[in-house]
Amino acid sequence: MIELAQVESRLALFAEGIAGRYYHIKPSSEFASRRLVIEPDRAALTSDTLLLPDTLDADDPAFYRVLALEQLGLAEFGTLRFTVTEARRRITGLACFDEPDLGVRVSDFELFYQHVEHPIVLNRLFALCERARINAHIRHHYPGIKRHQDAYHRHLVAHMPVGDLVSVSGLLRFLNACLLGAVPPEFEADPVGRSLRQALESTASVGASVYDAAAASLACYELCEPFIVFHEAELHFPDAAKLDDPAHWLQREARLEDWHEELRHLDNQILAVEMIEAENVLAAEVNNLVDGDVRPEDLHLRALQNERDTMARRMDMERSAIRDATGKPRPRARSYRYDEWDYLHRRYLAKWCRLFEERLEPDFSEDLDALKRVIINHRPGVQRQLENIKPLGFQRVYRVADGDELDFNAVIQARQDIRAGHTPDERVYSRRERVRRDVCAAFLVDLSASTDDPIDGPESAPLPFDDDDVPNLRDPFHDEPYASAHGLGHDPEPRRIIDVQRDAMLVMSAALEQLGDSYGIYGFSGYGRDCVEFFVAKEPDEPFTRATLASIAGMKPKRSTRMGPAIRHCVTKLLRSGNALKVLLILSDGFPQDSDYGPERGDHEYGLQDTAKALAEAHDKGVETFCVTVDRSGHDYLKRMCPDSRYMVIEEIEDLPEALTKVYQTLTG
Amino acid sequence: MSAAVGSATLRQQPYYLPLADEVEVFQAAYDARLPVLLKGPTGCGKTRFVEHMTWRIYRPQERIGERGGDKAAELEVPLITISCHEDLTATDMVGRFLLQGDSTLWSDGPLTRAVRTGALCYLDEIVEARKDTTVLIHSLTDHRRLLPIEKTGELLSAHPDFLLIISYNPGYQSVLKDLKPSTRQRFVSLTFDYPEPEREAEIIAHESGADAALAERLAVIGEKVRNLREHGFEEGVSTRLLIYTGQLVGKGISARRAAEIAIVNAVSDDLSVQQALADIVDTVLP
Repeated sequence: MIELAQVESRLALFAEGIAGRYYHIKPSSEFASRRLVIEPDRAALTSDTLLLPDTLDADDPAFYRVLALEQLGLAEFGTLRFTVTEARRRITGLACFDEPDLGVRVSDFELFYQHVEHPIVLNRLFALCERARINAHIRHHYPGIKRHQDAYHRHLVAHMPVGDLVSVSGLLRFLNACLLGAVPPEFEADPVGRSLRQALESTASVGASVYDAAAASLACYELCEPFIVFHEAELHFPDAAKLDDPAHWLQREARLEDWHEELRHLDNQILAVEMIEAENVLAAEVNNLVDGDVRPEDLHLRALQNERDTMARRMDMERSAIRDATGKPRPRARSYRYDEWDYLHRRYLAKWCRLFEERLEPDFSEDLDALKRVIINHRPGVQRQLENIKPLGFQRVYRVADGDELDFNAVIQARQDIRAGHTPDERVYSRRERVRRDVCAAFLVDLSASTDDPIDGPESAPLPFDDDDVPNLRDPFHDEPYASAHGLGHDPEPRRIIDVQRDAMLVMSAALEQLGDSYGIYGFSGYGRDCVEFFVAKEPDEPFTRATLASIAGMKPKRSTRMGPAIRHCVTKLLRSGNALKVLLILSDGFPQDSDYGPERGDHEYGLQDTAKALAEAHDKGVETFCVTVDRSGHDYLKRMCPDSRYMVIEEIEDLPEALTKVYQTLTG
Repeated sequence: MSAAVGSATLRQQPYYLPLADEVEVFQAAYDARLPVLLKGPTGCGKTRFVEHMTWRIYRPQERIGERGGDKAAELEVPLITISCHEDLTATDMVGRFLLQGDSTLWSDGPLTRAVRTGALCYLDEIVEARKDTTVLIHSLTDHRRLLPIEKTGELLSAHPDFLLIISYNPGYQSVLKDLKPSTRQRFVSLTFDYPEPEREAEIIAHESGADAALAERLAVIGEKVRNLREHGFEEGVSTRLLIYTGQLVGKGISARRAAEIAIVNAVSDDLSVQQALADIVDTVLP
């Protein structure tokens, strides 16, 4: 038995190498959609995720690679470029059928299936023929997979019925057996079986396109049709929803690009008509149109605008439907899994949390000059702190074997040694060397919803709307960052915890730039163990630029505070830095909490214990940690999470930037 | 001397497959004595290109029938390569006093030798060197073409055939170590990258002696592995390593084992990355 979790990170890299883009790897059982069902034992591909069975009843991890490659093959070898228009043009048999009129909101695959009386049968046949084609491509382009795929197929054959030639489901199973290279000899003599196999094999070539697979599936359908005594139960496909497939949605997503092109074309047409209109104003006056008359040019323009609006609406609805079916895409994120400490059972829950890492969206709408002023205002205080830890720059090192100057003391010593008959020390040079601090720091900022609270306490700034209107910040379907209530007529806006946290990050950035230490700035939030969000404002090897400033400005209150996985991820990053001294500073405004951080929602002990464990792990790995909280009741829980010397409760929140600089000096000075 | 210096006589033509117009551009730059900056990832052929161009410029008798471009005087060592590193100082390049018996003796550094003799001087990975080193080359790379030797008080005029070439890898080197504009803007710049798989296969086959089928597979491995540049080996796998793989196969090592030694273990120390690379190699090789 192999578990996906064991090979997930390796498989994600493999898929990225093969496909040239990142795919999240997730168990199919994790897939949740109101429109689409993916069986837990199936593999599937969505726009940014490769879904694979949670476990495989086999011993060879390469089987997961086979499954991944078969799915990636759909994107690489042209399955998703299928259009029914092209199919009708290329497949002579298809043009004989009436074109189904199902509107534009179905995939071209579904339109293709609906050409026949029993679409579900054609659907299954096409899936088999296309798989045969993809397999041929995979085996040609990635010949090393052959032996693993053959082994996997043998494994599958051993666990499946071979089929028969008397019912449609039997024929489908027979074709599946052909696909897996296990054709029972008794079927060879049967003309239907032979014809079906030949049709399937005709697609198994590198020269075959998705339309050849469609044509072959249509030929198979004609062979199967006499056997269709249609009881859906016989096919083991109980409802029409089974026609649906993630590939259909991917095809619809690919089709959006064509629509986008059409939209652009319409825009150009409208622009052209408007420009001609402007030139023809004079002509219109000459024509002396009676008031209320509509010129033909206007009618044409109006028709174009209507067409454009319809197209734009259709695209919006299509995007929304795709998102509804395949889930919210995270194309810019990378996902990682981390263990979690279950203190109740004194054990780690392996690969329990899924963390998504993505860049913080720079917010250039913020007044960046105001942010720069924050740096300038805090500079005197910070400068004093830095003077205590700043290295001396260059120092001359004496008695070295290689350098830019002779070290005359060493030269004289060497001459004395020679005259005394001793072996001289050859290190007779001196050189200037830069004294550098070998430090990497990571700042981890809590971006939970509560950081939106005003720093004087929520009661001093009542929200301007009824309770019913308050957005549920911890709602997983609430996508947008919390739109601050303070922008709705209150002037001046009260300072919030997040504002002070951002200021502290700006001040620290400026200080560390001056110091020359490498540092990263990160934020974290999320909702639930499957969605811990980790935001990157700056990585240690990046320079501090205007974009960094805007990224820090982009730190916004989001959802919950699952601290353990965020700490573990930060520690992983620090360990990769290779610096001698690694420091993690965590900035929060309250205790760790999340919707499923523990057996009961109101119980904070589980979150505390997991966070304490994550901090202890960091310490064991050589990372210095320090927690700073602006929560005045922080002593209550921080003293249970870390030693007294490893945390600080800020009483006056506005002191945070200077306090943080002091902490940094203590840790690294 | 801490500078890693290489001197090449280049009697044989170094193999180089042009990917665009870089040969013509370099020749034109040499004709005008314009310093050249080569940018590109590790192992994509920058050094080989410099060797090839040196051969074209200094060994005209070896290429009878070819025309065009300045030819330099015959030199025993027409190319001096200095591999820069963070401890490389101006002294290492210019020269220093050595102890000899009871006295000191001035010894030219590699840059000074190239300036005196009229060789090409190639500073590989220039941004790795200390800042004082890069400033040193300023007077050599403008109209003055002078090298001041502070310790001897000499102001050395560059030989008419002398040219300075520098290279760096914008990919993996820290942005903090980027070239200063005052240095960068003294050079004409040629950008290199890994070749397309078809071209790379041709290079691998030529350099390693591998058959065309293996060379094609190795080029595909190169292409796929470079998709993982962000995972701790920013530059992907170099053409050089792919050639090494082909050479190991030529010496009787199996293709998978050769790729493991020359690619998988060479480009990353991260176990999960190594496993993924091994999977790619295993999938791409027949």
